[in-house]
Amino acid sequence: MGDFLVIGKRLPRVDAGGKVTGNAIYLADLSVSGMLHGRILRSPHPHAKVLSVDISSARRLPGVRAVITGEDTHGIRLWKRPSGEKPPLAEEKVRFVGEEVAAVAADSEDIAEEACNLIEVKYEELPAIFDPIEGVKPGAVNIHEKGNIHISKSYGDVDRAFRESDYILEDRFETQAQQPCCLEPKGCIAHVDQLGHLTLWGMSQILHPYRQMLADALALPLTKVRVIQLTLGGSFGERMFMDSMPVIAYFLSKQAGRPVRIIDRGNESFVAGRMRYPMVIDIKTGVKKDGTLLARQVKVIADAGAYDNSCSVCVHGIGTKCTYLWGVPNVKYDGEVVFTNKTYGSNVRGFGNPQITFAIESQMDMIAERLNMDIRDLCLKNANYEGQIICMGSKITSCGQKECLEKAVEAIDWREKRKKPGNRGVGMASFMHTGGGIRGMAGGDCNFSDVFIKMNQDGTIDLSSGAVEMGQGTDTMLAQIAAEELGIRTEDVNLVTGDTSTTPMCLGAAACRETFIAGNAVRIAAGEMKRKLLEVASKVLGASLDNLVAEGSKVYVKGNADKSVSIARLATECYNKGEIIAGRKCYDDPTRPAMHGGAPTYGFGTHAIEVEVDKETARVKVLNCVAAHDVGKAINPMIVEGQIEGGVVQGLGYALSECLVWEKGVIKNPNLQDYKALYSNDIPPIIPIIVESNDCIGPYGAKGVAEMGAIPTAAAIANAIYDAVGVRIKSLPITPEKILKALEQKKTR
Amino acid sequence: MRRDYIVCEKEIEFKVNGATYKTRVYPWDTLLDTLREKLHLTGTKKSCEEGECGACTVILDGKAVCSCLVLAIETNGHEITTIEGLAVESNFHPIQDAFVDNGGVQCGFCTPGMIMSSKALLDEKPSANEDDIKDAIGGNFCRCTGYVKIIESIKAAQAISRR
Repeated sequence: MGDFLVIGKRLPRVDAGGKVTGNAIYLADLSVSGMLHGRILRSPHPHAKVLSVDISSARRLPGVRAVITGEDTHGIRLWKRPSGEKPPLAEEKVRFVGEEVAAVAADSEDIAEEACNLIEVKYEELPAIFDPIEGVKPGAVNIHEKGNIHISKSYGDVDRAFRESDYILEDRFETQAQQPCCLEPKGCIAHVDQLGHLTLWGMSQILHPYRQMLADALALPLTKVRVIQLTLGGSFGERMFMDSMPVIAYFLSKQAGRPVRIIDRGNESFVAGRMRYPMVIDIKTGVKKDGTLLARQVKVIADAGAYDNSCSVCVHGIGTKCTYLWGVPNVKYDGEVVFTNKTYGSNVRGFGNPQITFAIESQMDMIAERLNMDIRDLCLKNANYEGQIICMGSKITSCGQKECLEKAVEAIDWREKRKKPGNRGVGMASFMHTGGGIRGMAGGDCNFSDVFIKMNQDGTIDLSSGAVEMGQGTDTMLAQIAAEELGIRTEDVNLVTGDTSTTPMCLGAAACRETFIAGNAVRIAAGEMKRKLLEVASKVLGASLDNLVAEGSKVYVKGNADKSVSIARLATECYNKGEIIAGRKCYDDPTRPAMHGGAPTYGFGTHAIEVEVDKETARVKVLNCVAAHDVGKAINPMIVEGQIEGGVVQGLGYALSECLVWEKGVIKNPNLQDYKALYSNDIPPIIPIIVESNDCIGPYGAKGVAEMGAIPTAAAIANAIYDAVGVRIKSLPITPEKILKALEQKKTR
Repeated sequence: MRRDYIVCEKEIEFKVNGATYKTRVYPWDTLLDTLREKLHLTGTKKSCEEGECGACTVILDGKAVCSCLVLAIETNGHEITTIEGLAVESNFHPIQDAFVDNGGVQCGFCTPGMIMSSKALLDEKPSANEDDIKDAIGGNFCRCTGYVKIIESIKAAQAISRR
């Protein structure tokens, strides 16, 4: 691969200017003419029959324009799942504190709030269940008629492999509910006109599938549903699948005949936010004396909360995630999606991988100790490799796992610091995660992005894409690839995004897919435009096609830079003749027709972390954090580093402090301070290391990176704590209380 | 009910980004809502509304404050700078340039608040060290960046200003 003009450069983000000046428009910054303000009345009970909802007083309040209850939305279900489908407003019963029961649209938020307080709801409380372990017991409280969901998978011959193993380790790990903590409060504006056309200014990182979900729920043809995505203030997976809010706003708008805006206030983003699924993971691994991993049996009990927004999808995915890291050939997997009377969860950065990787990589450290090996050698022995067919059938197209591991341990000074006396320790953990989406993730047997690019008469381009920018840098990635192909500047790329009416289909930002899938689409579409551009240029310059170069917004003859023509002039000439230079590509991942759930490429990496554990208080101080990631090729290293650093910090919070706490179904810490998310004073030094394995299919060799930073951090911390003070904490977050208790137990033993 | 309290609406006069505004506010109106809804300065972001996230940070008489915790009526006769007041036409303030060039921005929702906290710091203490910087933005929550590139951006802004 040759030198690039734009790819691999630390260029400023294309959206940075708008964001540093306050010019970027987020949902709450938009006001639509005639807009009303909506508020939602939420359930105070974790599990109760709804006996009656009296809205008569609310309706009489001056300024109230619409009031809706479960009767208005009766029969609608927000998504299709085997069990645990959700009505937009409660019908016969409520299943968590915070569930939507009724809603009001009024002239002001204050009036809407007051009207909500005037709605009288009679409940009959039902026995509730909060612990998923209780939920799997026979005779447990039934939250949904169809009950919990069981998912199982099996690869190879686990029984035989366990028989052939020299050592078998069995451990239970537990993970907690992590809040995504998007800084922008969730909201939407719905406007239904008299012809029944819905325009929704919403929040979703998967624009086009979201439109489909909305249309399905409302039984509308897609022609009547337009979704517009403004600047999105964080999402982290939470704002992927639809929830009740847009459907509620739709019915309020329909009743009022005016646009309705609903925005979460105060702690609503916590109370009605969607957590990372807490899990209890039993993992049994069989290994040979030489360190070869032979077999693994995994049982997962996942706490879905009250509804199955995506828990069954997540638990299904863990069935493959628990096989591929270190390529375990024989795997048996059982996952249980258990309903509890708590806020329901959803997709959060890494989607099941931070949970299962915490279990796998903590246990790898224990296996290494049992075998008297360094975990580094154990991992290198079982390392994944390019060309490997993992047991679910996908092929690894590029693999920088060994390089990541070696660079991470070198940077943390492993040899000097591992297994040393004192209260400091180092630990490491690795991950493997899709780097280009998952076939079938949005329904259908596909994993695609379509893009359309047109050249304007001044040589700039308009690039239309349904890919979604939520902070991760997609827009800049698209612009850099288009600019590289066409020999123009990123400033000359105008992005047309965030509107289902004007953008081509794309499955959106999920499973680290946009760089790989949408990036490839742009590379090919822009390449097609370049060919057309050079054809025009070859006539103007009287040179053959293969002698032309597009660079610096010009086309020139190789070796004769004086003989050139500006792209602007070529574009103008084409325009004046009615010949528009344009390119389009719908790129579907090339693994087709490989099995459902497979990924076209995988990302790898290792985090190595040094901690100090206070002898008296057991407070963990993270001293240094190295995160080496194989990203294929960094389209923009500055943005890649930002993704890694942000992921690491989210992972540190997951490891050490973040945890939603419920008491009888009520969240007791629904704010950033009590929840203990990390602030600037909490962060250790972080060293991101970019490893480039140059994927053979990815655009310029690139693959996804955005989720990865959050995945192995917790296990690396747990392993470092073990190295420091010799106690193994198997439940997250690793609080000083847990360490102290373990230290005491260790003393008495 | 608030509509009954119409009599307690008061007129205030304050300076925002160098311009003088007169507007009527209720005693319970926050500075944040007044800036966003009355003055249409929506660059200042509204999130937690209880002073924990810092997204609404503005500079009031030289100090960074959470505008959700300040009542508009308290700002009568005072001077406020919001994110919209930093760039002069298309010329960015050095802190804005630094955030653009150093990857200090991701989703952007914390960015205005971060920049205002940084500006208050650097106005008062141009040679602030890393601990000062971490403290100054210690109340500004960011879920995207892990703070690393924000801190680097603020340091880079110091370097630009020194030039």
